[in-house]
Amino acid sequence: MYGWHGRLLRINLTQRKSTIETIDPKILHDYIGGRGLAIHYLYKELDPMVDPLSVENKLIFATGPLTATTAPTGNRYMVVTKSPLTGALAHSNSGGDFPTWMKRSGFDLYIFEGKADQPVYVWVNEDQVEIRPADHLWGKDVHETTDLLLTETDPEAKVACIGPAGENRVLMAAIMNDKHRAAARSGVGAVMGSKNLKAVVAMGKKNPAFFDDAGMRALSVELSKEVGVDIKKGSNLRIYGTAYVPQVTNTLGILPTRNFQSGVFEGVDKIDGVALKEKYLITHKPCYRCPISCGRLTAVDDEKYAGKGEGPEYETIASLGSSCGVDNLAALTKANYLCNELGLDTISAGLTISAAMEMFEKGIITETQTGMPLRFGDGDAVIEMVRKIAYREGFVNELADGSFRLAENYDHPEMSVTARKQELPGYDPRGSQGMGLLYATSNKGASHMEGEVAYEEVFGVPVKADPLSTDGKAELVKRFQDAFVLIDSGGVCVFFAVRYVFTREMMIWPDRLAALLNLTTGVGYSPEEALQAAERIYNLERLFLIKAGSGPEFDTLSPRLLNEPLPEGPAKGRVVDLDKMLPEYYKVRGWDVKGYPTPSKLAELGLA
Amino acid sequence: MRVHVKLIATYQKLLPPGTKGNVVPLEVPDGTTLGQVMTRFEVPLDDTSVILLNGLTVPLDTILSEGDTAAAFSAIAGG
Repeated sequence: MYGWHGRLLRINLTQRKSTIETIDPKILHDYIGGRGLAIHYLYKELDPMVDPLSVENKLIFATGPLTATTAPTGNRYMVVTKSPLTGALAHSNSGGDFPTWMKRSGFDLYIFEGKADQPVYVWVNEDQVEIRPADHLWGKDVHETTDLLLTETDPEAKVACIGPAGENRVLMAAIMNDKHRAAARSGVGAVMGSKNLKAVVAMGKKNPAFFDDAGMRALSVELSKEVGVDIKKGSNLRIYGTAYVPQVTNTLGILPTRNFQSGVFEGVDKIDGVALKEKYLITHKPCYRCPISCGRLTAVDDEKYAGKGEGPEYETIASLGSSCGVDNLAALTKANYLCNELGLDTISAGLTISAAMEMFEKGIITETQTGMPLRFGDGDAVIEMVRKIAYREGFVNELADGSFRLAENYDHPEMSVTARKQELPGYDPRGSQGMGLLYATSNKGASHMEGEVAYEEVFGVPVKADPLSTDGKAELVKRFQDAFVLIDSGGVCVFFAVRYVFTREMMIWPDRLAALLNLTTGVGYSPEEALQAAERIYNLERLFLIKAGSGPEFDTLSPRLLNEPLPEGPAKGRVVDLDKMLPEYYKVRGWDVKGYPTPSKLAELGLA
Repeated sequence: MRVHVKLIATYQKLLPPGTKGNVVPLEVPDGTTLGQVMTRFEVPLDDTSVILLNGLTVPLDTILSEGDTAAAFSAIAGG
């Protein structure tokens, strides 16, 4: 077998036993890997109605056939499970080094099931798999845990772990790898914590051979050269990281501001990529062998906010920054470091804090409860809230379950800006209508990583679409969702891989992704077959959602986005016109008018 | 008439040397178009740029009005 190992590692934590299983080549062909392969196993093995934090839930780490290859950005993995935040599906994506090391340990997937009676970590050194006690690590933050594990196992190994937030089953807890990288969304860290699994450490040298080694090398060089051309021209991502984006979204009037009460933030110049570069940037830091190198290694030497780490990324600036009204870059960066150290998703943390700030300013919650003023713009309060969320401390315990539950508890659902109970990323959909449809229909709740149509509506890639128009957005969203399935299943990163699946002329046409998959695996995908695999995976995820009780009735957005027009900026007066787009979306998906996949669509995809 | 030109991130270097921030005021004759003002700053007018007028997606031959903000940034994604 080429490209894949064709093997998965199953770890039963209850029995403290691991087994190695082979994977049927037809399944690999039909589901590619990563996100696709993981949903195949989750759907087959898990009752979608289980309590996500119960012993029955399963947690899957998944690499793709392009993970650990020479394909530029081939260094991603996915964490797939039933989400305790959304009650639907979690498939959280991360880069760094760990994904490559996991692949080299000799497995395409790790499946964790059951629950250890005491804290443990799993050490995978090729076929030597050990489930070791982790009592000494429980309670420790991500940095300490990682350092201790590298000492105990092998300094050349790589670590994915949870922090106190995951241990405390905070519903926005992340799984952190390589200290600063996060499979952040949907509470995957809480699932890991519920299993008493503190960490997974991986290493090995068992990379599968390529079907066509020389061909793979040649295509990888060609693609890397394209990145090189961009970098020579002046790449925003290389020079500023994703932190260049606040200026873009603010110009369009869609930068989340004070809990989505506006899309224009007056303090944007103080928290953008230019300010970050001038003040705190040490150097850019790539995921393993990535030619783009968008990561930011930063340090703040201010006494009050001192720290060192990676970030902030755009999403963090939009959530812990502008959505909380914070223009203090040092405080925002410190809050970011703290999220990484405690193992929290910065998006959900930031938006839950901003929801609480709005509730405080409107007198819905009081200082008697919070123990401190909670006003927009107070960076110190944000830092304190982040810490308390991770430890579920006092009143802030209510924030640890996310903004949806917080706002519901106080009968103000409009103050939670969510879809499927998950907080929105940094593109206000009232000024980016396609993003609104994306969030509403996303299989994992609001997420930009599910098919970021902002590429066209905001960034003009591959072509510029009018963000305020609803015309053609149903087709656009489907196209991006399918493209992202391929990217997530292949094991590459959206930042370059959009070029593997889109062309300017033909829109979505994954000929280069298919070429990479074929050189790697030898399977011989045509672009049409790759697109059909994407649809198959997306529809199988949809079936999981329906069975989990998160079906079409949840294809909607928070009341604020549907009923409260933006008060200023280019999108002034707009709400998300979801009613105009959703019926058309169901149609282009081949689903019935109520949003259920039709028997004929399922038969066409081999899912009947 | 007076308009503003905002050039974001890597395009900021196309602003006059010594410019603070990413916005400059500019006097232009009546009838000046969005495309013409961008050409003055050597912003590529092809699809490697995103060019906006007051944050909106409009044709490059749109004629500017007093107080408008013309903005641009590089459309290159991922590298």
